[in-house]
Amino acid sequence: MQRFEQEDVGRTATVGTIAELSALTSRREFMRLIGIGGALVMLPGMFAACEDGSNTAGLAGPGTGASVTIDFAAGDTALLQFAYVLEQLEADFYSRVVSNFAGSSFKDADKVILTDIRDHEIIHREFLKSVLGGSANFTLAPTYGSLNFKDRATVLAAAKTFEDLGVAAYNGAAQYYRDPNNLLASAKIVSVEARHAAAIRDLITPASAEFAPSSFDDTFSLDKVAFAVQGSIDDMLVFANAPATFVDGPNKTGSV
Amino acid sequence: MSKPDQSVLSTVDPEILEAIDARAEEIVKGASVSSKIVALLALGSVPIALGALAKDVYGQTPVDVLDVLQFALLLEYLEADFYQRGLNALGLIPVSDLVVFSTISVHETAHISALQGLITRKGGSSIAKPTFDYTAKGNVPGFVFSATQYDVFTSLAQAFEDLGVRAYKGQVGRLTNDKPALATVLAIHSVEARHACEVRRLRGLKGWITGNSRDDLPAFLQGAYVGEENVTQLSVNVSTLATSSVSKNSATEAFDEPLTMAQVMAMVTPFLP
Repeated sequence: MQRFEQEDVGRTATVGTIAELSALTSRREFMRLIGIGGALVMLPGMFAACEDGSNTAGLAGPGTGASVTIDFAAGDTALLQFAYVLEQLEADFYSRVVSNFAGSSFKDADKVILTDIRDHEIIHREFLKSVLGGSANFTLAPTYGSLNFKDRATVLAAAKTFEDLGVAAYNGAAQYYRDPNNLLASAKIVSVEARHAAAIRDLITPASAEFAPSSFDDTFSLDKVAFAVQGSIDDMLVFANAPATFVDGPNKTGSV
Repeated sequence: MSKPDQSVLSTVDPEILEAIDARAEEIVKGASVSSKIVALLALGSVPIALGALAKDVYGQTPVDVLDVLQFALLLEYLEADFYQRGLNALGLIPVSDLVVFSTISVHETAHISALQGLITRKGGSSIAKPTFDYTAKGNVPGFVFSATQYDVFTSLAQAFEDLGVRAYKGQVGRLTNDKPALATVLAIHSVEARHACEVRRLRGLKGWITGNSRDDLPAFLQGAYVGEENVTQLSVNVSTLATSSVSKNSATEAFDEPLTMAQVMAMVTPFLP
Protein backbone atom coordinates (compact mmCIF):
# COMPACT_ATOMS: atom_id res chain seq x y z
CA MET A 1 0.00 0.00 0.00
CA GLN A 2 1.35 3.35 -1.01
CA ARG A 3 1.46 5.74 1.91
CA PHE A 4 0.93 9.42 1.69
CA GLU A 5 4.08 11.34 1.08
CA GLN A 6 4.48 15.04 0.73
CA GLU A 7 6.32 14.74 -2.59
CA ASP A 8 3.40 12.81 -4.01
CA VAL A 9 1.28 15.92 -4.23
CA GLY A 10 0.00 16.17 -7.76
CA ARG A 11 -0.07 12.40 -8.02
CA THR A 12 -1.97 10.24 -5.63
CA ALA A 13 -2.32 10.21 -1.89
CA THR A 14 -3.43 6.91 -0.50
CA VAL A 15 -5.01 6.56 2.87
CA GLY A 16 -5.87 3.13 4.09
CA THR A 17 -7.41 3.65 7.47
CA ILE A 18 -8.94 6.39 9.51
CA ALA A 19 -5.90 6.23 11.75
CA GLU A 20 -3.65 7.05 8.84
CA LEU A 21 -5.91 9.88 7.89
CA SER A 22 -5.72 11.23 11.42
CA ALA A 23 -1.97 10.90 11.24
CA LEU A 24 -1.93 13.64 8.64
CA THR A 25 -1.23 15.90 11.60
CA SER A 26 -4.45 17.88 11.51
CA ARG A 27 -7.68 18.42 9.66
CA ARG A 28 -6.27 21.60 8.21
CA GLU A 29 -3.25 19.73 6.93
CA PHE A 30 -5.51 17.10 5.46
CA MET A 31 -7.64 19.65 3.67
CA ARG A 32 -4.54 21.43 2.44
CA LEU A 33 -3.19 18.24 0.99
CA ILE A 34 -6.40 17.54 -0.84
CA GLY A 35 -6.67 21.11 -1.96
CA ILE A 36 -3.30 21.64 -3.57
CA GLY A 37 -3.78 19.26 -6.42
CA GLY A 38 -3.01 15.89 -4.96
CA ALA A 39 -5.54 13.14 -5.16
CA LEU A 40 -7.09 11.34 -2.27
CA VAL A 41 -7.59 7.64 -2.44
CA MET A 42 -9.81 6.13 0.17
CA LEU A 43 -8.77 2.56 0.53
CA PRO A 44 -10.96 -0.28 1.75
CA GLY A 45 -12.33 0.12 5.21
CA MET A 46 -11.94 3.85 5.15
CA PHE A 47 -15.60 4.69 5.08
CA ALA A 48 -16.60 2.01 7.54
CA ALA A 49 -13.92 3.29 9.83
CA CYS A 50 -15.41 6.74 9.54
CA GLU A 51 -18.71 5.26 10.57
CA ASP A 52 -17.74 3.37 13.67
CA GLY A 53 -14.18 4.42 14.35
CA SER A 54 -13.08 0.86 15.06
CA ASN A 55 -13.08 -0.92 11.72
CA THR A 56 -10.30 -3.45 11.42
CA ALA A 57 -12.00 -5.71 8.92
CA GLY A 58 -9.40 -5.21 6.21
CA LEU A 59 -10.23 -5.08 2.58
CA ALA A 60 -13.80 -6.32 2.34
CA GLY A 61 -16.54 -3.88 1.41
CA PRO A 62 -16.65 -0.48 -0.23
CA GLY A 63 -13.59 0.58 -2.18
CA THR A 64 -12.26 -2.92 -2.86
CA GLY A 65 -12.70 -2.67 -6.61
CA ALA A 66 -10.80 -0.90 -9.34
CA SER A 67 -10.11 2.79 -8.92
CA VAL A 68 -12.27 5.34 -10.67
CA THR A 69 -10.37 8.59 -11.05
CA ILE A 70 -12.07 11.90 -11.62
CA ASP A 71 -9.49 14.44 -12.74
CA PHE A 72 -10.75 17.93 -12.08
CA ALA A 73 -8.17 19.32 -14.48
CA ALA A 74 -10.78 18.30 -17.05
CA GLY A 75 -13.05 21.12 -15.86
CA ASP A 76 -16.76 20.70 -16.44
CA THR A 77 -16.26 17.18 -17.74
CA ALA A 78 -15.07 16.15 -14.27
CA LEU A 79 -18.09 17.79 -12.65
CA LEU A 80 -20.38 15.90 -15.00
CA GLN A 81 -18.49 12.70 -14.14
CA PHE A 82 -18.98 13.50 -10.47
CA ALA A 83 -22.72 13.83 -11.16
CA TYR A 84 -22.56 10.59 -13.16
CA VAL A 85 -21.25 8.83 -10.04
CA LEU A 86 -24.22 10.06 -8.03
CA GLU A 87 -26.78 9.22 -10.68
CA GLN A 88 -25.36 5.74 -11.29
CA LEU A 89 -25.70 5.09 -7.59
CA GLU A 90 -29.22 6.47 -7.34
CA ALA A 91 -30.46 4.74 -10.50
CA ASP A 92 -29.05 1.43 -9.27
CA PHE A 93 -30.53 1.86 -5.82
CA TYR A 94 -34.07 2.55 -7.02
CA SER A 95 -33.86 -0.17 -9.67
CA ARG A 96 -33.14 -2.63 -6.90
CA VAL A 97 -35.95 -1.18 -4.82
CA VAL A 98 -38.47 -1.58 -7.63
CA SER A 99 -37.30 -5.07 -8.50
CA ASN A 100 -37.83 -6.04 -4.86
CA PHE A 101 -41.45 -4.89 -4.63
CA ALA A 102 -42.77 -8.44 -4.63
CA GLY A 103 -43.15 -9.57 -1.04
CA SER A 104 -42.02 -6.21 0.32
CA SER A 105 -43.79 -4.07 2.91
CA PHE A 106 -44.34 -1.17 0.49
CA LYS A 107 -47.79 0.28 0.06
CA ASP A 108 -49.21 0.84 -3.40
CA ALA A 109 -48.78 4.60 -3.08
CA ASP A 110 -45.09 4.11 -2.21
CA LYS A 111 -44.58 1.98 -5.31
CA VAL A 112 -45.92 4.67 -7.62
CA ILE A 113 -43.54 7.27 -6.18
CA LEU A 114 -40.51 4.97 -6.07
CA THR A 115 -41.07 3.83 -9.65
CA ASP A 116 -41.26 7.43 -10.83
CA ILE A 117 -38.06 8.27 -8.98
CA ARG A 118 -36.31 5.24 -10.48
CA ASP A 119 -37.28 6.42 -13.95
CA HIS A 120 -36.06 9.96 -13.25
CA GLU A 121 -32.72 8.71 -11.96
CA ILE A 122 -32.24 6.41 -14.95
CA ILE A 123 -32.90 9.38 -17.23
CA HIS A 124 -30.39 11.48 -15.28
CA ARG A 125 -27.80 8.72 -15.60
CA GLU A 126 -28.39 8.16 -19.29
CA PHE A 127 -28.42 11.90 -19.96
CA LEU A 128 -25.02 12.30 -18.31
CA LYS A 129 -23.71 9.23 -20.10
CA SER A 130 -24.76 10.75 -23.40
CA VAL A 131 -23.32 14.18 -22.62
CA LEU A 132 -20.04 12.71 -21.39
CA GLY A 133 -19.60 10.46 -24.40
CA GLY A 134 -16.15 8.91 -24.20
CA SER A 135 -15.67 10.38 -20.74
CA ALA A 136 -18.50 8.22 -19.39
CA ASN A 137 -15.83 5.58 -19.11
CA PHE A 138 -16.74 3.89 -15.84
CA THR A 139 -19.55 1.74 -14.57
CA LEU A 140 -19.71 1.67 -10.82
CA ALA A 141 -20.50 -1.34 -8.69
CA PRO A 142 -22.79 -0.08 -5.93
CA THR A 143 -22.86 -1.98 -2.64
CA TYR A 144 -25.42 -1.76 0.13
CA GLY A 145 -24.13 -4.17 2.73
CA SER A 146 -26.97 -6.00 4.38
CA LEU A 147 -29.66 -3.49 3.44
CA ASN A 148 -33.02 -5.25 3.32
CA PHE A 149 -34.68 -4.08 0.11
CA LYS A 150 -37.97 -5.66 1.14
CA ASP A 151 -38.35 -3.47 4.21
CA ARG A 152 -40.15 -0.19 3.68
CA ALA A 153 -38.63 1.73 6.59
CA THR A 154 -35.10 0.62 5.81
CA VAL A 155 -35.32 1.47 2.12
CA LEU A 156 -36.97 4.85 2.70
CA ALA A 157 -34.32 5.79 5.25
CA ALA A 158 -31.59 4.96 2.75
CA ALA A 159 -33.45 6.82 -0.01
CA LYS A 160 -33.68 9.88 2.21
CA THR A 161 -29.92 9.80 2.72
CA PHE A 162 -29.22 9.46 -0.99
CA GLU A 163 -31.60 12.25 -2.01
CA ASP A 164 -30.43 14.73 0.60
CA LEU A 165 -26.84 13.93 -0.35
CA GLY A 166 -27.64 14.41 -4.03
CA VAL A 167 -29.13 17.84 -3.39
CA ALA A 168 -26.16 18.94 -1.29
CA ALA A 169 -23.74 17.53 -3.84
CA TYR A 170 -25.23 19.38 -6.80
CA ASN A 171 -25.53 22.56 -4.76
CA GLY A 172 -21.87 22.34 -3.78
CA ALA A 173 -20.47 21.40 -7.19
CA ALA A 174 -22.35 24.20 -8.95
CA GLN A 175 -19.70 26.78 -8.03
CA TYR A 176 -17.09 25.07 -10.21
CA TYR A 177 -18.89 24.99 -13.57
CA ARG A 178 -17.28 27.07 -16.28
CA ASP A 179 -20.00 26.70 -18.90
CA PRO A 180 -23.29 28.27 -17.74
CA ASN A 181 -25.19 25.73 -19.82
CA ASN A 182 -23.76 22.96 -17.70
CA LEU A 183 -24.60 24.91 -14.55
CA LEU A 184 -28.16 25.27 -15.77
CA ALA A 185 -28.42 21.55 -16.53
CA SER A 186 -27.22 20.85 -13.00
CA ALA A 187 -29.83 23.26 -11.60
CA LYS A 188 -32.54 21.53 -13.64
CA ILE A 189 -31.61 18.24 -12.00
CA VAL A 190 -31.04 19.41 -8.43
CA SER A 191 -34.56 20.73 -7.96
CA VAL A 192 -35.96 17.37 -9.07
CA GLU A 193 -33.66 15.66 -6.56
CA ALA A 194 -35.05 18.04 -3.95
CA ARG A 195 -38.58 17.08 -4.96
CA HIS A 196 -37.56 13.43 -4.53
CA ALA A 197 -36.09 14.19 -1.11
CA ALA A 198 -39.27 15.89 0.02
CA ALA A 199 -41.47 13.09 -1.34
CA ILE A 200 -39.42 10.37 0.36
CA ARG A 201 -39.45 12.31 3.60
CA ASP A 202 -43.19 12.78 3.27
CA LEU A 203 -43.63 9.03 2.80
CA ILE A 204 -41.69 8.47 6.02
CA THR A 205 -43.51 11.11 8.07
CA PRO A 206 -46.53 12.45 6.16
CA ALA A 207 -47.62 16.09 6.43
CA SER A 208 -44.93 16.93 8.96
CA ALA A 209 -42.08 19.43 8.94
CA GLU A 210 -39.76 16.69 7.70
CA PHE A 211 -40.03 17.40 3.97
CA ALA A 212 -37.66 20.34 4.31
CA PRO A 213 -35.68 20.15 7.54
CA SER A 214 -33.97 23.51 7.07
CA SER A 215 -34.69 26.88 5.49
CA PHE A 216 -31.63 26.24 3.33
CA ASP A 217 -30.40 23.02 1.78
CA ASP A 218 -26.85 21.92 2.48
CA THR A 219 -23.95 22.78 0.19
CA PHE A 220 -21.41 19.95 0.32
CA SER A 221 -17.81 20.09 -0.82
CA LEU A 222 -16.67 17.51 -3.36
CA ASP A 223 -14.67 15.78 -0.63
CA LYS A 224 -17.61 15.54 1.73
CA VAL A 225 -19.72 13.98 -1.00
CA ALA A 226 -16.91 11.59 -1.90
CA PHE A 227 -16.63 10.39 1.68
CA ALA A 228 -20.34 9.72 1.77
CA VAL A 229 -20.73 7.95 -1.57
CA GLN A 230 -17.61 5.81 -1.14
CA GLY A 231 -19.49 3.85 1.49
CA SER A 232 -21.90 2.60 -1.16
CA ILE A 233 -19.46 1.89 -3.99
CA ASP A 234 -17.14 -1.10 -4.37
CA ASP A 235 -14.95 0.87 -6.76
CA MET A 236 -12.27 3.08 -5.28
CA LEU A 237 -13.20 6.68 -5.93
CA VAL A 238 -10.19 8.90 -6.62
CA PHE A 239 -10.05 12.65 -7.09
CA ALA A 240 -7.15 14.25 -8.92
CA ASN A 241 -6.49 17.97 -9.12
CA ALA A 242 -9.48 18.72 -6.92
CA PRO A 243 -10.41 22.42 -6.70
CA ALA A 244 -8.38 24.28 -4.10
CA THR A 245 -11.24 26.40 -2.85
CA PHE A 246 -14.74 25.71 -1.61
CA VAL A 247 -17.40 28.31 -0.87
CA ASP A 248 -19.75 26.93 1.76
CA GLY A 249 -23.49 27.62 1.76
CA PRO A 250 -25.64 29.27 4.43
CA ASN A 251 -25.80 26.14 6.61
CA LYS A 252 -21.99 25.98 6.86
CA THR A 253 -22.13 22.19 6.79
CA GLY A 254 -20.17 21.64 3.60
CA SER A 255 -16.64 20.90 4.71
CA VAL A 256 -15.29 17.47 5.61
CA MET B 1 -41.30 48.28 -4.21
CA SER B 2 -39.07 51.34 -4.25
CA LYS B 3 -40.02 54.05 -1.82
CA PRO B 4 -40.35 57.54 -3.33
CA ASP B 5 -37.81 59.01 -0.96
CA GLN B 6 -35.26 56.30 -1.53
CA SER B 7 -32.25 57.06 -3.62
CA VAL B 8 -32.38 54.55 -6.40
CA LEU B 9 -28.65 54.74 -6.79
CA SER B 10 -28.27 53.40 -3.27
CA THR B 11 -29.45 50.07 -4.62
CA VAL B 12 -26.67 49.80 -7.14
CA ASP B 13 -23.26 48.33 -6.63
CA PRO B 14 -20.88 51.14 -5.57
CA GLU B 15 -18.43 50.01 -8.23
CA ILE B 16 -20.57 51.46 -10.97
CA LEU B 17 -22.06 54.50 -9.26
CA GLU B 18 -19.49 56.88 -10.63
CA ALA B 19 -19.75 55.49 -14.09
CA ILE B 20 -23.53 55.76 -14.06
CA ASP B 21 -23.31 59.39 -13.03
CA ALA B 22 -20.88 60.14 -15.82
CA ARG B 23 -23.00 58.52 -18.47
CA ALA B 24 -26.47 59.64 -17.51
CA GLU B 25 -27.27 60.55 -21.07
CA GLU B 26 -26.55 57.08 -22.36
CA ILE B 27 -28.65 55.62 -19.59
CA VAL B 28 -31.64 57.65 -20.65
CA LYS B 29 -31.06 56.56 -24.21
CA GLY B 30 -30.69 52.96 -23.10
CA ALA B 31 -33.92 53.12 -21.14
CA SER B 32 -35.82 54.32 -24.13
CA VAL B 33 -34.95 51.23 -26.14
CA SER B 34 -35.17 48.53 -23.50
CA SER B 35 -38.63 47.06 -23.28
CA LYS B 36 -37.57 45.04 -20.26
CA ILE B 37 -36.66 48.15 -18.38
CA VAL B 38 -39.81 49.97 -19.42
CA ALA B 39 -41.86 47.01 -18.26
CA LEU B 40 -40.12 46.91 -14.91
CA LEU B 41 -40.43 50.65 -14.43
CA ALA B 42 -44.11 50.34 -15.16
CA LEU B 43 -44.30 47.93 -12.25
CA GLY B 44 -42.70 50.52 -10.05
CA SER B 45 -39.64 48.38 -9.57
CA VAL B 46 -37.00 51.05 -9.77
CA PRO B 47 -34.14 49.03 -8.29
CA ILE B 48 -34.79 46.12 -10.60
CA ALA B 49 -35.17 48.39 -13.60
CA LEU B 50 -32.01 50.23 -12.73
CA GLY B 51 -30.15 47.00 -12.42
CA ALA B 52 -31.20 45.97 -15.89
CA LEU B 53 -30.42 49.44 -17.18
CA ALA B 54 -26.91 49.54 -15.83
CA LYS B 55 -26.19 46.19 -17.41
CA ASP B 56 -27.45 47.35 -20.76
CA VAL B 57 -25.11 50.30 -20.70
CA TYR B 58 -22.07 48.77 -19.10
CA GLY B 59 -22.40 45.03 -19.50
CA GLN B 60 -21.02 44.57 -16.01
CA THR B 61 -21.84 41.76 -13.68
CA PRO B 62 -21.97 43.24 -10.15
CA VAL B 63 -25.32 44.70 -11.08
CA ASP B 64 -26.51 41.33 -12.30
CA VAL B 65 -26.11 39.99 -8.79
CA LEU B 66 -28.08 42.80 -7.18
CA ASP B 67 -30.71 42.58 -9.89
CA VAL B 68 -31.14 38.86 -9.20
CA LEU B 69 -31.22 39.33 -5.44
CA GLN B 70 -33.88 42.08 -5.60
CA PHE B 71 -35.95 39.95 -7.97
CA ALA B 72 -35.65 36.97 -5.64
CA LEU B 73 -36.55 39.18 -2.69
CA LEU B 74 -39.75 40.27 -4.42
CA LEU B 75 -40.75 36.63 -4.92
CA GLU B 76 -39.93 35.76 -1.32
CA TYR B 77 -41.96 38.76 -0.10
CA LEU B 78 -44.89 37.41 -2.10
CA GLU B 79 -44.55 33.90 -0.72
CA ALA B 80 -43.89 34.91 2.88
CA ASP B 81 -46.76 37.38 2.92
CA PHE B 82 -49.09 34.86 1.30
CA TYR B 83 -48.38 32.15 3.86
CA GLN B 84 -48.55 34.59 6.76
CA ARG B 85 -51.96 35.75 5.57
CA GLY B 86 -53.02 32.12 5.29
CA LEU B 87 -51.78 31.21 8.75
CA ASN B 88 -53.47 34.29 10.20
CA ALA B 89 -56.83 33.42 8.62
CA LEU B 90 -58.95 31.63 11.17
CA GLY B 91 -60.16 28.25 9.97
CA LEU B 92 -58.53 28.44 6.54
CA ILE B 93 -55.78 25.83 6.92
CA PRO B 94 -56.93 22.50 8.38
CA VAL B 95 -55.10 21.47 11.52
CA SER B 96 -53.65 18.48 9.65
CA ASP B 97 -51.81 20.77 7.23
CA LEU B 98 -50.78 23.51 9.65
CA VAL B 99 -47.31 22.11 10.29
CA VAL B 100 -46.51 22.06 6.59
CA PHE B 101 -47.57 25.62 5.94
CA SER B 102 -46.01 27.03 9.09
CA THR B 103 -42.76 25.28 8.13
CA ILE B 104 -42.85 26.83 4.67
CA SER B 105 -43.68 30.21 6.17
CA VAL B 106 -40.66 30.08 8.46
CA HIS B 107 -38.44 29.19 5.52
CA GLU B 108 -39.67 32.04 3.31
CA THR B 109 -39.04 34.50 6.11
CA ALA B 110 -35.51 33.15 6.50
CA HIS B 111 -34.99 33.50 2.76
CA ILE B 112 -35.97 37.16 2.98
CA SER B 113 -33.39 37.77 5.70
CA ALA B 114 -30.68 35.98 3.76
CA LEU B 115 -31.38 37.90 0.55
CA GLN B 116 -31.52 41.22 2.38
CA GLY B 117 -28.19 40.39 3.98
CA LEU B 118 -26.61 39.67 0.61
CA ILE B 119 -28.07 42.86 -0.86
CA THR B 120 -26.66 44.93 1.98
CA ARG B 121 -23.28 43.28 1.58
CA LYS B 122 -23.29 44.17 -2.09
CA GLY B 123 -23.87 47.80 -1.14
CA GLY B 124 -27.50 47.71 -2.20
CA SER B 125 -30.71 48.69 -0.46
CA SER B 126 -33.48 46.12 -0.34
CA ILE B 127 -36.73 46.90 -2.13
CA ALA B 128 -39.67 47.47 0.18
CA LYS B 129 -42.38 44.84 0.51
CA PRO B 130 -45.35 45.66 -1.73
CA THR B 131 -48.96 45.31 -0.62
CA PHE B 132 -50.02 42.27 -2.59
CA ASP B 133 -53.37 41.74 -4.29
CA TYR B 134 -54.24 38.06 -4.02
CA THR B 135 -57.25 38.36 -6.28
CA ALA B 136 -54.60 39.10 -8.91
CA LYS B 137 -56.66 41.88 -10.40
CA GLY B 138 -59.72 39.68 -10.53
CA ASN B 139 -58.01 36.57 -11.84
CA VAL B 140 -58.68 34.86 -8.50
CA PRO B 141 -62.23 36.16 -8.03
CA GLY B 142 -63.25 36.95 -4.49
CA PHE B 143 -60.25 35.37 -2.82
CA VAL B 144 -59.94 36.80 0.71
CA PHE B 145 -58.42 33.83 2.63
CA SER B 146 -61.85 32.89 3.99
CA ALA B 147 -62.35 29.52 5.66
CA THR B 148 -64.14 28.10 2.62
CA GLN B 149 -61.32 28.99 0.21
CA TYR B 150 -58.66 26.46 1.19
CA ASP B 151 -58.58 24.94 -2.31
CA VAL B 152 -57.84 28.35 -3.77
CA PHE B 153 -55.13 28.89 -1.16
CA THR B 154 -53.37 25.62 -1.93
CA SER B 155 -53.73 26.19 -5.68
CA LEU B 156 -51.95 29.51 -5.38
CA ALA B 157 -49.36 27.97 -3.07
CA GLN B 158 -48.57 25.30 -5.66
CA ALA B 159 -48.26 27.88 -8.43
CA PHE B 160 -46.06 30.17 -6.35
CA GLU B 161 -43.73 27.33 -5.39
CA ASP B 162 -43.43 25.78 -8.84
CA LEU B 163 -42.95 29.28 -10.25
CA GLY B 164 -40.37 30.12 -7.60
CA VAL B 165 -38.24 27.10 -8.47
CA ARG B 166 -38.23 28.12 -12.11
CA ALA B 167 -37.58 31.77 -11.33
CA TYR B 168 -34.45 31.02 -9.29
CA LYS B 169 -33.26 28.54 -11.88
CA GLY B 170 -33.48 31.17 -14.60
CA GLN B 171 -31.11 33.45 -12.70
CA VAL B 172 -28.31 31.16 -11.48
CA GLY B 173 -26.23 31.81 -14.60
CA ARG B 174 -25.96 35.48 -13.62
CA LEU B 175 -24.35 34.66 -10.26
CA THR B 176 -21.28 32.77 -11.45
CA ASN B 177 -18.92 35.57 -10.42
CA ASP B 178 -20.31 35.76 -6.89
CA LYS B 179 -19.89 32.35 -5.32
CA PRO B 180 -21.44 33.16 -1.92
CA ALA B 181 -24.54 34.56 -3.62
CA LEU B 182 -24.68 31.54 -5.92
CA ALA B 183 -24.39 29.13 -2.98
CA THR B 184 -27.15 30.88 -1.04
CA VAL B 185 -29.49 31.18 -4.00
CA LEU B 186 -29.03 27.50 -4.84
CA ALA B 187 -29.61 26.53 -1.21
CA ILE B 188 -32.91 28.42 -1.40
CA HIS B 189 -33.79 27.15 -4.88
CA SER B 190 -33.81 23.50 -3.84
CA VAL B 191 -35.80 24.24 -0.70
CA GLU B 192 -38.43 25.88 -2.88
CA ALA B 193 -38.52 22.62 -4.81
CA ARG B 194 -39.11 20.74 -1.57
CA HIS B 195 -41.96 23.12 -0.80
CA ALA B 196 -43.41 22.65 -4.26
CA CYS B 197 -43.32 18.88 -3.89
CA GLU B 198 -44.95 18.93 -0.47
CA VAL B 199 -47.74 21.31 -1.47
CA ARG B 200 -48.43 19.22 -4.58
CA ARG B 201 -48.59 16.07 -2.46
CA LEU B 202 -50.95 17.73 0.03
CA ARG B 203 -53.16 18.46 -2.97
CA GLY B 204 -53.14 14.78 -4.00
CA LEU B 205 -50.71 15.29 -6.89
CA LYS B 206 -47.27 13.91 -7.60
CA GLY B 207 -44.42 16.04 -6.33
CA TRP B 208 -43.06 16.65 -9.85
CA ILE B 209 -44.32 18.45 -12.93
CA THR B 210 -45.45 16.26 -15.83
CA GLY B 211 -45.17 17.85 -19.26
CA ASN B 212 -46.47 21.41 -19.07
CA SER B 213 -49.51 20.35 -17.04
CA ARG B 214 -50.88 22.80 -14.51
CA ASP B 215 -53.04 19.93 -13.25
CA ASP B 216 -56.24 21.39 -11.79
CA LEU B 217 -55.01 24.96 -11.50
CA PRO B 218 -56.91 27.75 -13.29
CA ALA B 219 -55.75 28.72 -16.79
CA PHE B 220 -54.40 32.03 -15.61
CA LEU B 221 -51.61 30.16 -13.78
CA GLN B 222 -50.46 28.27 -16.91
CA GLY B 223 -47.48 30.61 -17.20
CA ALA B 224 -45.91 28.78 -14.27
CA TYR B 225 -45.84 25.59 -16.37
CA VAL B 226 -45.18 26.75 -19.92
CA GLY B 227 -42.03 25.16 -21.33
CA GLU B 228 -41.86 22.41 -18.69
CA GLU B 229 -42.49 19.88 -21.49
CA ASN B 230 -38.95 20.40 -22.80
CA VAL B 231 -37.04 17.14 -23.37
CA THR B 232 -33.86 18.55 -24.93
CA GLN B 233 -31.11 18.88 -22.33
CA LEU B 234 -27.65 20.04 -23.48
CA SER B 235 -28.63 18.98 -27.02
CA VAL B 236 -29.61 15.49 -25.82
CA ASN B 237 -33.18 14.33 -26.39
CA VAL B 238 -33.76 12.71 -23.02
CA SER B 239 -37.06 11.16 -24.10
CA THR B 240 -35.33 8.72 -26.46
CA LEU B 241 -32.36 7.56 -24.43
CA ALA B 242 -31.45 4.04 -25.48
CA THR B 243 -31.74 1.82 -22.43
CA SER B 244 -34.67 3.52 -20.80
CA SER B 245 -37.96 1.81 -20.50
CA VAL B 246 -39.13 5.18 -19.31
CA SER B 247 -41.86 7.30 -20.79
CA LYS B 248 -41.75 10.77 -22.24
CA ASN B 249 -43.65 11.89 -19.16
CA SER B 250 -40.75 10.80 -17.00
CA ALA B 251 -38.34 12.62 -19.28
CA THR B 252 -40.16 15.89 -18.65
CA GLU B 253 -40.51 15.21 -14.92
CA ALA B 254 -36.81 14.49 -14.50
CA PHE B 255 -35.79 18.07 -15.31
CA ASP B 256 -37.29 21.30 -13.98
CA GLU B 257 -37.07 24.12 -16.51
CA PRO B 258 -36.07 27.76 -15.99
CA LEU B 259 -38.19 30.82 -16.68
CA THR B 260 -36.85 34.22 -17.66
CA MET B 261 -37.30 37.19 -15.37
CA ALA B 262 -39.81 38.62 -17.83
CA GLN B 263 -41.83 35.39 -17.84
CA VAL B 264 -41.89 35.34 -14.06
CA MET B 265 -42.79 39.03 -13.80
CA ALA B 266 -45.70 38.47 -16.18
CA MET B 267 -47.05 35.96 -13.66
CA VAL B 268 -46.30 38.04 -10.59
CA THR B 269 -47.49 41.40 -11.91
CA PRO B 270 -51.22 40.79 -11.33
CA PHE B 271 -50.43 40.23 -7.66
CA LEU B 272 -48.65 43.58 -7.34
CA PRO B 273 -50.50 46.72 -6.26
